Amino acid sequence: MAAMELRLPVPRKVVSQGLARGSDKHLVAPGDTITTDTGYMRGHGTYMGDEKLVASVAGAVERVNKLICVKALKTRYNGEVGDIVVGRITEVQQKRWKVETNARLDSVLLLSSMNLPGGELRRRSAEDELAMRDYLQEGDLISAEVQAVFSDGAVSLHTRSLKYGKLGQGVLVQVSPSLVKRQKTHFHDLPCGASVILGNNGFIWIYPTPEQKDEEAGGFVTNLEPVPLHDREVISRLRNCILALVAQKLMLYDTSILYCYEASLPHQIKDILKPEVMQEIVLETRHRLLELEG
Amino acid sequence: MASVVLSEAEKVYIVHGIQEDLRVDGRGCEDYRCTEVETDVVSNTSGSARVKLGHTDILVGVKAEMGTPKLEKPDEGYLEFFVDCSANATPEFEGRGGEELGTEIVNTLYRIFSNGSSIDLKSLCINPREHCWVLYVDVLLLECGGNLFDAISIAVKAALFNTRIPKVRVLEDDEGSKEIELSDDPYDCIRLNVDNVPCIITLSKIGCRHVVDATLQEEACSLASLLLSVTNRGTLTCMKKLGKGSLDPESIFEMMETGKKVGKTLHIALQKTLEKEESLGTTRQKVGFLG
Amino acid sequence: MAGLELLSDEGYRVDGRRAGELRKVRARMGVFAQADGSAYIEQGNTKVLAVVYGPHEMRGSRSKALHDRALVNCQYSMATFSTGERKRRPHGDRKSSEMTLHLKQTFEAAILTQLYPRSQIDIYVQVLQADGGNYCASVNAATLATIDAGIPMRDYVCASSAGFIEDTPLADLNYVEEAAGGPQVALALLPKSDQIALLEMNSRLHEDHLDQVIEAAIKACKDIYTVLDQVVREHVHEVTTLLGE
Repeated sequence: MAAMELRLPVPRKVVSQGLARGSDKHLVAPGDTITTDTGYMRGHGTYMGDEKLVASVAGAVERVNKLICVKALKTRYNGEVGDIVVGRITEVQQKRWKVETNARLDSVLLLSSMNLPGGELRRRSAEDELAMRDYLQEGDLISAEVQAVFSDGAVSLHTRSLKYGKLGQGVLVQVSPSLVKRQKTHFHDLPCGASVILGNNGFIWIYPTPEQKDEEAGGFVTNLEPVPLHDREVISRLRNCILALVAQKLMLYDTSILYCYEASLPHQIKDILKPEVMQEIVLETRHRLLELEG
Repeated sequence: MASVVLSEAEKVYIVHGIQEDLRVDGRGCEDYRCTEVETDVVSNTSGSARVKLGHTDILVGVKAEMGTPKLEKPDEGYLEFFVDCSANATPEFEGRGGEELGTEIVNTLYRIFSNGSSIDLKSLCINPREHCWVLYVDVLLLECGGNLFDAISIAVKAALFNTRIPKVRVLEDDEGSKEIELSDDPYDCIRLNVDNVPCIITLSKIGCRHVVDATLQEEACSLASLLLSVTNRGTLTCMKKLGKGSLDPESIFEMMETGKKVGKTLHIALQKTLEKEESLGTTRQKVGFLG
Repeated sequence: MAGLELLSDEGYRVDGRRAGELRKVRARMGVFAQADGSAYIEQGNTKVLAVVYGPHEMRGSRSKALHDRALVNCQYSMATFSTGERKRRPHGDRKSSEMTLHLKQTFEAAILTQLYPRSQIDIYVQVLQADGGNYCASVNAATLATIDAGIPMRDYVCASSAGFIEDTPLADLNYVEEAAGGPQVALALLPKSDQIALLEMNSRLHEDHLDQVIEAAIKACKDIYTVLDQVVREHVHEVTTLLGE
């Protein structure tokens, strides 16, 4: 049975007026003088212009002791050591892979930084170099951790723990990195029946929770069995909820995603993406989060 | 064509989901994404329309100009199509990158409108063999989110519905030479009858089933698609197979049936929306790109 | 245009504005979700869309990458239905290539490119409706799109055109005034530091009048800056409130 919805566009309303939060942050635009006090160190989003500190992006000023920086609303991913990222392989080069992580330069995964199948610990040989495509090909998705950041900003990744590696069946959602909240852990097994990896670079991976935590494969043997229908529904609903949260600009973390999922249960999965439904469920999520904070 | 790269496991996931009639965004195999249509967006034109189908954004402008009829059809006007794949959609379209895709879309549009029943071309004729109206239909692709042909055909139909061609009078003086006089009143114009203008329905074969309105990810999983041009009565006027895979005759017949069914629903929904917009008249708040 | 008075005796122009008045400016940031930054601006009847991709890895030939700064790549394109007379090619003709080069020069001066070595920033401008001041509206739209993408800039870049009729400088010319053939100046300015990023003059103008016209253009740029700044601040305020914390 076909469903087709065609509608006329509606001018959007400024939603923030209804929210109780008053913003007492110092908001700046490029070219604004932040301070003329020379005692401060300058961080991201600022530059020194004859005797004063000037903002170079539009956003909120953050002051940490003597460091002033401006956090832009939306940027490409800036790698920091220890971040968890989800990336897609774009190129297979000599002894390394180039990974796309929504950063300003492609990230690098060295052959020596990758765990071998079975978790073996040995020096990489010439055969490994020739067999690189057997491990990871162009288009594959991986989860990894940032090992180091080069001087020009490119990021070097490693998958030396068994929880990282090639990703199997699931759905990828790409959002802006500024919407992913920094937390202690980015791997979540949600109670609704699916698991989520919230990459710091804005790539979010939703996948069916594996039954047993089988460690030996190290993430190389992908399970291509069909995923049961019930799990698929949960995954699709989570995907639409994340898109709704992004459209209404709410920070993404496990609690907000879970509350949004629960608020969306009365609606059909495909209806979640309609503008009025999105607004309704995100508003409900906001209220619950505010109550949670007390 | 702007496309995404997917891993094998992601493709397998999508294909299995479609077998069970549950796509990644929760839709069924015959459901379209939420679409927005607006006409009269650009004012330098005789008619214009903007269509947003998911992440696909199309802007169509129609300009009516005076020209000479073609030699083989002296008592008809004609339509000229042009598709511009803007670099806004993806950096691959910069410079001449979008020309190949643009040419493919233009050729499809010409084939659909080449049969005489879509638009009454005789109504575009002013003076047989001498003057006629030429409608330049320009399509601008602003954002690419899959399912381009459907969105473009909806936008073209909406723009033609919105087109207002000024009425002209042919004055003949004593020596027999004819002069064209444009009516001064800007509201004195002729509208086109778009009832028979077909819409394109693209059906992509994924696994053993076929889906309507494929997203970029689903297009990456499909090896072959069937492009159907369907009128509001469910008649097929044009058919084309796309993609590097092959289709067996049984699938083609199944896809044709689905296409006719979906096409009729699409036309009804589009007609209703266009009439609703028309009825709002000047009270309608123009949204355009600002809303 | 015989018989058309560009400036009436009471000081009114063809569309009812005064000599130094700008057309109505309306703008919006974040129009498209798939691009890194996007903006839409309407200056009177001129409508322009700008989209920014980047900074990202160099596509195509890696050899063109600059080792110490980012490469700014622009394209200026006009829709075929944007002008009164249908345009045959959206881009690739001489005028568009010239505008593309101007845009590139302007934004290389404003973006802090030394922060992004070996990467590329793409700025694509699409004119939907052309009613005069196309280049200036493009610069303004591209500024908003670059701010939306979070790319650091030295300052805003605001552009406006100015003309000279009957000893009066006119600010922000529309199509009718441009087509009349009088002298025209296009100016792109960084408002806070009063630095001129681009200055272009057409037709003939006596050098005694040049100062006046440039002054009028600078004032118009500063007026545009006020409007754009307000749009950016509202947008930042709305998003920061929505993000909470």
